[in-house]
Amino acid sequence: MQKNNIGDKAAGSTPQPLLQLRGIGKSFPGVHALKDVSLDVYPGEVHMLLGENGAGKSTLMKVLCGAYRADKGDILSSGKAIDVSSISAVRALGVAVIFQEFSLVPHLSVAQNIFLGREPKGSIPGTVDVRGMRRAALEALRALQLDIDPDAPVHALSLAQQQMVEIAKATSQQTRVLVMDEPTAALSERESARLFELIKQLKAAGVAIIYISHRMTEVFELGDRITVLRDGNRVASVLRGEATPDMLVQMMVGRTVDMTYPRHFADKPGDVLLRVEGLTASNGIRDIDLMVRAGEIVGLAGLAGSGRTEVARAIFGADRVLSGTVRLHGRLVSGGPEQARSAGVALIPESRKTQGVALLRSVSENLNLASLGRTFANGIYRPGVAREVAQQLIARLRIATPSPEQMVKLLSGGNQQKIVIGKWLQADAKLFIFDEPTRGVDVGAKSEIFALLDQLVAAGKGVLMISSELPEIIHVCDRAYVMRERKIAGHLERSELNEQNVMRLAIGATAMEEATI
Amino acid sequence: MNATASVSSGARPLRSVASLPGVAWALIALLLTFATAAPNFLTMGNVNNIAAQSVVLLMLALPTTLVIMTEGIDMSLGAVLSLAGVVLAMVLVASGSPLLALGAAVGVGLAFGLANGALVSVLGLPPFIVTLASMGVAQGLALVITDGDSIIIGEQLSVLVNGSLAGLTMSIWLALAFYGIFHVLMHRTRLGFYASAIGGNPEALRFAGVNIRLYHIGIYALSGASAGFAALILTARMSAGHPSAALGAEFDAIAAVIVGGTSFEHGKGRLFGTLVGVVAVGVLRNGLNLMNVSSAIQVSCIGLLVIVSLLLDNLKGTR
Repeated sequence: MQKNNIGDKAAGSTPQPLLQLRGIGKSFPGVHALKDVSLDVYPGEVHMLLGENGAGKSTLMKVLCGAYRADKGDILSSGKAIDVSSISAVRALGVAVIFQEFSLVPHLSVAQNIFLGREPKGSIPGTVDVRGMRRAALEALRALQLDIDPDAPVHALSLAQQQMVEIAKATSQQTRVLVMDEPTAALSERESARLFELIKQLKAAGVAIIYISHRMTEVFELGDRITVLRDGNRVASVLRGEATPDMLVQMMVGRTVDMTYPRHFADKPGDVLLRVEGLTASNGIRDIDLMVRAGEIVGLAGLAGSGRTEVARAIFGADRVLSGTVRLHGRLVSGGPEQARSAGVALIPESRKTQGVALLRSVSENLNLASLGRTFANGIYRPGVAREVAQQLIARLRIATPSPEQMVKLLSGGNQQKIVIGKWLQADAKLFIFDEPTRGVDVGAKSEIFALLDQLVAAGKGVLMISSELPEIIHVCDRAYVMRERKIAGHLERSELNEQNVMRLAIGATAMEEATI
Repeated sequence: MNATASVSSGARPLRSVASLPGVAWALIALLLTFATAAPNFLTMGNVNNIAAQSVVLLMLALPTTLVIMTEGIDMSLGAVLSLAGVVLAMVLVASGSPLLALGAAVGVGLAFGLANGALVSVLGLPPFIVTLASMGVAQGLALVITDGDSIIIGEQLSVLVNGSLAGLTMSIWLALAFYGIFHVLMHRTRLGFYASAIGGNPEALRFAGVNIRLYHIGIYALSGASAGFAALILTARMSAGHPSAALGAEFDAIAAVIVGGTSFEHGKGRLFGTLVGVVAVGVLRNGLNLMNVSSAIQVSCIGLLVIVSLLLDNLKGTR
């Protein structure tokens, strides 16, 4: 019955899947990224792939294009197992992948990029037929009704045009399956509309399209078939007619996590600590309003790329603020990280190893790093004093280290994170902004980190926590803001905090339901 | 699509001229200064002199453009040039055959280039360290095989320097030929395209199924071989092979490339800019020579030329 449904589009007899993925599994050290994923891709069909952060979408695509090798499972073409062990083997099968980071060379021309790696040979041995290449590029662009100069260097094009060049690159070769990873992430609405037209053209030409999306509206506008991934498993594949936004959200959420969250929720929150109003910054975030009170852990949720880290950076003054205000205790904070720090804002960045700690220095040195001016007011560093400060913090935060002189690199991820927190405690920070505080730490350490956050707010500090892990947002936060497309999509009180509500806001399902009603 | 129109208008054949690098303005300033301050600067003899002096630099700077486009660098060029020069002189003296001597010199350069390329591309070692090390190896070898002495070859190769054809000296012809070859390499062959891609987006090349190592090694090999070829001109001009004849030549080459608008980032390369950069460095050295400025100060002046050119580019907002 499903087959008939698609048959009328695919022109002709009963359509065979162009590509079948059977039981694909892939592990990395410590992560079981794909467990058992099966997928059928039909000609002339847009197959939407949905899933929250870490569901396994990107890994699946990398397996499909030969960049990763699956540990188990088969990929079948016309019923026969095929070789996807190398990029060129996959290419030869007519599978083209457009990743989020474009595979374009900035200082080569559009034509050179379209034919990268398969340049037509010129009459003189060893040379490239530049004229022929230009002509063929122009044809490929015209076939897509694109008005782009084949001689223009790619870096001079807009993001949307670059996206189109990527597609021309794919369609200029015998592409039967086109894989796109969030192609509209960087596009404006008009540019997206242009891309959708293009996708419909390709569909009509019988190309199968696998489309990874984070936007519910797209899923329903473009998708013929929708597959939801969660925890490296396929939850379900449904036809568009059978799906509702709510049902898809239900399927996306509910990751299994075995851990307890040590959190004591206070009865009534304290005074307003941080108030952000109308914040628009050079990094793309727009009109951010949010507020954190003393004694609160406030979540900042959203899918990867929704602008959460950018909000943290703008509050901290690490990126240029274009308009809007940041106030701490009612006082305006502006002028950059130095001022934010002295006002009492601590930013604990996501990449701990490159931005949070000095890996090759001692525990003691790291713990003192943010408060040198306070501890050593006369500008002279005294190791004995530093050691005392460090010992107090080590005891207070229960940092597992043989001595304050231990090199930080040799400690576990959880203990490194504690050192970052301790450093800011010593600097007398009042507002802690955590960007993915539990990334790369094991379950036991996660629990300890949350216990520490709980202590922080119990002592009257405020915490703004960015997390991609829905359970963390649900179980740890007093309230949460959810971001979508670089804006705050909504705010959830503790009583409303559940995975469905967060995901609905993050993916834009609520907006759509309102629109359709 | 409004943006398309603006892109196409700027992207026509005169692109390299339209984006004249800051060094072009610096060159004009230098020419004006020396024309008024240095005696004999504007004579035909001196123009030929500048050309003769610049040919060797051009032969180093052109391949250096490609190397820098890959976000690499070749610090060994000067030392390899010196070594190739003494090898050339020794083979010439022993065999009397200029062709055999040239073959030996290019072979030496090629060997160093291949080794550099393999270490950088296959083992993933940092280009600066690799080529700094091979610079030491080449310089040491050059001193060892000559005992530190010059090897006199007499006037055997002087036709390359003094000879002329259709009113232009051989040096100028050689420079033009070299530039022509590199123009084709850069704009008509995969090697040139991929040099930009290795620096600009190696992942894209990998996904295009290209054997990146082959081209990466090829670019360093080209650099070494060019240094070997340049040894012919250098030795001819000096009538001798000297083990430290080209000491620090890589500095001039890298300076000429950078002021010409090639960037260490994103695979941006400007071959025409390199030509302008070479002429600017050549004019600067020549003019300072005429004004009896010591060669130590000349190096400082080239350093200043780099900074001034970059500042000019910065003002224009092209970097």
